[in-house]
Amino acid sequence: MAVTREEFESAMTYDQWKAGWTRNHDRFAAQERSYQPDPADVEALKKLPKPVNVLAIVEDWCGDVVANVPIIERLARESGKLNVRYVQRDSTPFIDRYLNRGQFKSIPVFVFLDENFNELGVFYERPDSVTKLRADKRLEVFKNNPAFGDPNAPPDQLPEDVRNQLNQALQKMREETQPFYDKESSRWIRELAARAA
Amino acid sequence: MAQPVKVRITYCAECGYETQTLQLAKDLMYKFQDQLSSIELIPWRDGAFDVSVNGELVHSMYRDGGFPPSQTVIEAVEKQLAA
Repeated sequence: MAVTREEFESAMTYDQWKAGWTRNHDRFAAQERSYQPDPADVEALKKLPKPVNVLAIVEDWCGDVVANVPIIERLARESGKLNVRYVQRDSTPFIDRYLNRGQFKSIPVFVFLDENFNELGVFYERPDSVTKLRADKRLEVFKNNPAFGDPNAPPDQLPEDVRNQLNQALQKMREETQPFYDKESSRWIRELAARAA
Repeated sequence: MAQPVKVRITYCAECGYETQTLQLAKDLMYKFQDQLSSIELIPWRDGAFDVSVNGELVHSMYRDGGFPPSQTVIEAVEKQLAA
């Protein structure tokens, strides 16, 4: 079962969902400021014959939601061709229909629907290319600093000062890979929406 | 006298795992009261949910999948207290 028109229309607008945020206001704002869409993505969306409906399954605490929602909102605003509505993962039944790889309640989920609410495709969590890049970069962080120990060991086994250094190094890696993340998410959103053409 | 037992819970702070973290901490507090020397909560990232008792990893979301039943951690603490 996909998403019905009634379900979609009863979901929240971005402003309605935003009004209920309990955290991460500054992180959402930072991503809104830093994300600059590729004009090619915006132009491709503008050329869609009709607007595409997108049901977003989200929660405000999730890092990948913080990364991706400003992207889809900006593309929606600049193209005028994405009609995005929001539901919360933990208080609605939608996630059970959209488990990542049939198992995981990963978010965000963006369900792309045509004007008749036929499903066009689904965006789960983040692009695989980003997951792979960050996994490779994470291993580099450990390789470049032997004090961080085994990448597969629990971080609580590290002395607190080393653990804090590792946390900072991983955060730096995240920030350095964010432009790639933004570009790949934009491309995936564009490609899913283009299935309506 | 039993040796003091220290529990560490390392949880992904951007995954919404606070509820499970606090529930486990609460279960341990109620069960063991002042028998524990500390319960340390370590905010982390990358989907982590690890629990160690006196440095021994008794649950890892990466290794074992999911969240541990509180009883699993309680039994690991009882074993340490009896050592």
